[in-house]
Amino acid sequence: MKVNRLLIALIAVSTLLYLSVTGSYKVLQSDSALEIVDFSMSNPEINGNQIPSNPDKIPLYGDLHVHTKYSFDAYIFGVTSTPYDAYKYATGEAIKHPLGYDMKLKEPLDFYAVTDHGFYMGMVENYADTSSEISKQEWSKPFHNLNRPENITLQSGPERANIFSSVLTQAIIQPYPLWHPRVIQAWLTKNLQLALTSFDYDIHKSAWADVANAAEEFNNPGKFTTFIGYEFTTSTAVEGGNLHRNVIFNSSNAPIRPWTRIDSLNPEDLWTWMDSLRERGVDSLAMPHNSNGSNGQMFEVETFRGNPIDVDYSEKRMRNEPVVEVTQVKGTSDTHPLLSPDDEWADFEIMDKRVGSRPPAYSMPQGGYVRDAYLRGLTLDWKQQGNPYKFGLIGSSDTHTGAGSFDEENYWSKVGILDGTAQGRASVPLTDERIDQLTQYSAVYNQPPSTQKIEGRTYADTGFEQWGASGLAVAWAEENTRDSIFKAFKRKETFATTGTRLAVRFFAGYDMNAIDLDSENMVQEAYAKGVTMGADLFASDNQTPQFLVWAQRDKNGAPLQRIQIIKGWVENGSGTPHETVYDVACSDGLAVDPLTNRCPDNGARVNINDCSISDDAGAVELKTTWTDPKFDPTIKAFYYVRVLENPTCRWSTWDAVKAGVTPRPDLHQTIQERGWSSPIWYIPEQSKIDINIL
Amino acid sequence: MNLRILVFFLIGLLIFVIDVGLNSDESSKDIYITDQELSSLLSAWTSQVGRDPTDEEVVNIINNLVQEEILYREALLLGLDQEDRIIKRRLAQKLTFLKQETMPEEPTEQELLDFYESNKANYFIPPTYSFKHHYFSKESDAKERANAALNAFIDNGLELRGDPFFLGKNFNQNTIAEIERSFGASFLSAFAQPKLNQWSGPYQSAFGEHIIFITDTSEGFFPPWKKIASKVTQDYLTKIQDDAVNQYLDDIKSQYRVIINPNYQF
Repeated sequence: MKVNRLLIALIAVSTLLYLSVTGSYKVLQSDSALEIVDFSMSNPEINGNQIPSNPDKIPLYGDLHVHTKYSFDAYIFGVTSTPYDAYKYATGEAIKHPLGYDMKLKEPLDFYAVTDHGFYMGMVENYADTSSEISKQEWSKPFHNLNRPENITLQSGPERANIFSSVLTQAIIQPYPLWHPRVIQAWLTKNLQLALTSFDYDIHKSAWADVANAAEEFNNPGKFTTFIGYEFTTSTAVEGGNLHRNVIFNSSNAPIRPWTRIDSLNPEDLWTWMDSLRERGVDSLAMPHNSNGSNGQMFEVETFRGNPIDVDYSEKRMRNEPVVEVTQVKGTSDTHPLLSPDDEWADFEIMDKRVGSRPPAYSMPQGGYVRDAYLRGLTLDWKQQGNPYKFGLIGSSDTHTGAGSFDEENYWSKVGILDGTAQGRASVPLTDERIDQLTQYSAVYNQPPSTQKIEGRTYADTGFEQWGASGLAVAWAEENTRDSIFKAFKRKETFATTGTRLAVRFFAGYDMNAIDLDSENMVQEAYAKGVTMGADLFASDNQTPQFLVWAQRDKNGAPLQRIQIIKGWVENGSGTPHETVYDVACSDGLAVDPLTNRCPDNGARVNINDCSISDDAGAVELKTTWTDPKFDPTIKAFYYVRVLENPTCRWSTWDAVKAGVTPRPDLHQTIQERGWSSPIWYIPEQSKIDINIL
Repeated sequence: MNLRILVFFLIGLLIFVIDVGLNSDESSKDIYITDQELSSLLSAWTSQVGRDPTDEEVVNIINNLVQEEILYREALLLGLDQEDRIIKRRLAQKLTFLKQETMPEEPTEQELLDFYESNKANYFIPPTYSFKHHYFSKESDAKERANAALNAFIDNGLELRGDPFFLGKNFNQNTIAEIERSFGASFLSAFAQPKLNQWSGPYQSAFGEHIIFITDTSEGFFPPWKKIASKVTQDYLTKIQDDAVNQYLDDIKSQYRVIINPNYQF
C-alpha cells in the first residue's frame, strides 16, 4: 500500500514537472477573454428607406469616450446614468446631472460609444449596494450606499475624492490565498480577476452585457451609430504615466469580458488580444488618450518593457491604434509651449499633471503630445525601426456623467458632483460655508489643502480649472453606419475638434492647382487627383505637391479666423526634428504675410463682461491651395491642418459672468475653438544612400 | 372565536402600552445587533483574511458597525435629513418606484389599439424631401450671384452653377430636422410650400444662399401595425406604470393645501 501511494505521488509530480518544463501545461488553459458573444438584437426596421450614401463623404460627429455608472470612478463621483441614458443624451434628449440639472445637446450627435473602465466594470455599484453579497466584505464599507441620493451632495465631494484616491486601491488588491479554488480557476481560464476577493465575475459580465445591449439597442443604421466599447485603463508602474486607451468593436460580436489592466498593464498584450480577436472575426481598434498626462510615456522611443522599438512593434501598434484622442476634457495634446516655442497657439487648454496623480504630479511634455509623437515617429523610421506614431486624430469628451460637455457657455465638466458647480471647478470664489467644509474635510481625510488664494479671493484647489469643454471625433464616411465610420477611423480619414462642429477637408497631390476651388465638383476631383487626410503621398519624380484645404464654420459657433498647415520633418543626415506652422488662409479677405507666415489681425474681439463677440469679422468658409515654400522631395515630412475660430469666452469666463463676479485673473479668459485634421505623410523615394546604424 | 381574537388583541395592546411606558426614553438609544448580522460580518472577515479574527479584531468590527449606526441616528436627530433637496427627491423617487412596481397585466389587443389611436402622433414617420441645390457662399455676394444665376437660367437657359458645398449637392430623403442640422433653421422656408421639379430660390442658410430643386417628397405616414406593435406594447406598459403614480398622487393630493405668500414678487 505504502509503495503504491508513493508511486502515484511520484507519477503526479513528474507529470506536472514534465508539463511545466515543456510548456505544454498551456493545453490545460482556456482564454476567457477570447470567448465571443453575439449581442445583436433584431430591431424592427420601421422606415424601410435605403440608407443614404454619399461617395464624396460627409463629416459625422461623435464622442467615443463616455463613462456611465458602471465605471468604478464615475460611481464614486455620484453618477447614476446608465449606458441607455448616455445614448438618449447623444440622440438629443435631456438627461439629469447628478446634481439635478438637465444636460442636453444643442444638436444630436451622429455616433456615440459608451466606454466604461473595463477594469472592475460594474463592481463599485455593487460595493455600494448593501444587499449584495460582495458588499459584506470589510473593505467595501466605505462604498456602502455611496450613491443613495441622500448621499449625493456637494458636501460629500472631499470624501469621494478620498475614496477615489486611497480606499479604492486598498480594496482592489486582495487576492485569495494561493490554494484557493478560485486561484486555480483563474489560472485555468487566464482570468486573473477571479483570484481577487473584491471581484465578482457574474456582476462584471452582466455590467459588460448591459453596456453592449445598450449599444445594440440604439444603433440605428443611417441615422445614429453606436459602438460596443470600453476603456483599457493602464499606466506605467513607477511613474504612474497614463497609458489609457479606449477600445471599440466593429460588430455586434464582442468578447465575453473586456481585457483589462488586471490581465496586463502592457499595451502590447492588449494588441495581441485584439489581433487574436481579429483572427476570430471580431475587428476592433484602440485609441490612446490623455497622452498629456502620461509623463511623456504614451509616445516613448522604447517599448513598455524598455526594449528598442522595432518594425514589428511599429506595425502592431499601427494595426491596432490608427487614431489618437488629441483633445478632451482633461486638456489638449496637440503640442506644448515648451515643445513648440514658435507656435503662438501652443498654449491651449494645457493640462500639465499626470492623470489621477495625488498629490498632483507634473507631467513632462516630451513624449506626451501628438506633434512631438509624429516627429519621434519620423526619427524612429529614419533609424529603420518603423513608425509607430503614424496615427490620425480624433477628439472625445471622457465625460463621466454619460453626457459629453462640449459647450463653453453651458459646461458641467466631467466628474459629476466634484466639478458640477462653478465653485467646485474653481472658476468662481468659494462661499465662506464651502471654505469651512473643504478645510475640515481636508483635515479629516488627510488630503492636501484643497483651497487656494488668488489675488485675495479663495478658490477650490482641485485642478479642474485646467479642464475644458472638449472635444469631438469626426469621421469622413459615406454613410452613417457602424462599418462606414469604423473604416474611416482605420484609414484615419478623421479630424478632431474642441467641441465645435466646424468641418475641414484636406487633400494633397501633384495636380491640385488644376482644380477650380469654386467648382461644384471640387471634392470629387480632389479625391480623383490626390490623397486625403490620414494617407501617404508618395514622391513622384521630384515634383512639388500642392495641398488643398477647405474649412466650414459651425453654424452655432464663432466664424472662422484662419487655416494653418503644420509641417514637421527630420533632417536626412541626423534625424533631427523640425516643425513650422504656416497660416495658409485668412478670413475677411486678408492675405498671409510671406515673411512671418501669419495672417494679419482680423479684428475679432470678445466682450469679457457679457461674452458677446464681434459680428463683423470672420468667415463662413475658407479654402485655398498651398505649396510648401521649403519643400524638399528627399525629406520625409508630415502635414496637418489646424483650423482656428475667432476667439470666444472660455467656460471659466462664462461661469464668472453668470455668477456676476470677475473672471479668475490667472486663467485664459478667451479661447479659440479649433479643429485638427489627421496628417498627410510625404514619403520620398527610397534613399540611394545606406544609413548604417552602429 | 371572536372573543378569543379580542382577548389576544387586548393582551397585545397591554404589552405595547407597558413597553412604551417603560422604555420611552431608552428605546431610541438601543442598537440591536442580530446574530445573523454578527456571524455574517465575522465570516466575511474570515473568508477575506483566511483566519478567524482575534478578540481585539472582533471588537473592532463591532465598533465600526456601532459607530456607523450611531452617526446615522445622530444625523437623523440633528435633522440633517431635513430640507435637503436631494434627500427629498430621492424619497419621492423611491415612492414613485414603489407605485410603479406593480406589474400590469398583459394588455388586450383592444387596449393597445385604443392607446395607439390616442397617441398616434408618436408613431408618425415624418415627411422627407429629396432635393439638389446650388450654393452661393456668404463669402462673396451670395444673394446677387444667386439671383443672377437663377435669372440667367430662366431667361436664357444658361447652366446653373454655384460654389462647392461641404455636404455636396444631393440630399436624399431628409426630414425637416435633418435639413435644419445641415443648413440651419432659416433654410426651412424653402420647404414650407415645396414646388416639385423646378428651380426656386434663393433661400438663405447659415452659410449663404441656395437655389433648390426638389425632386421628391414623401408624405409622412403611419407604419403598419405589425411593425410597431411591440413598441406600442412597451409604451403602453410604461404609461400604465406612470398612470399608477399619477392616480396615487391624484387620490391623495386633495388632502394637501399649498400655501404661497400672495405678495411674493415672481
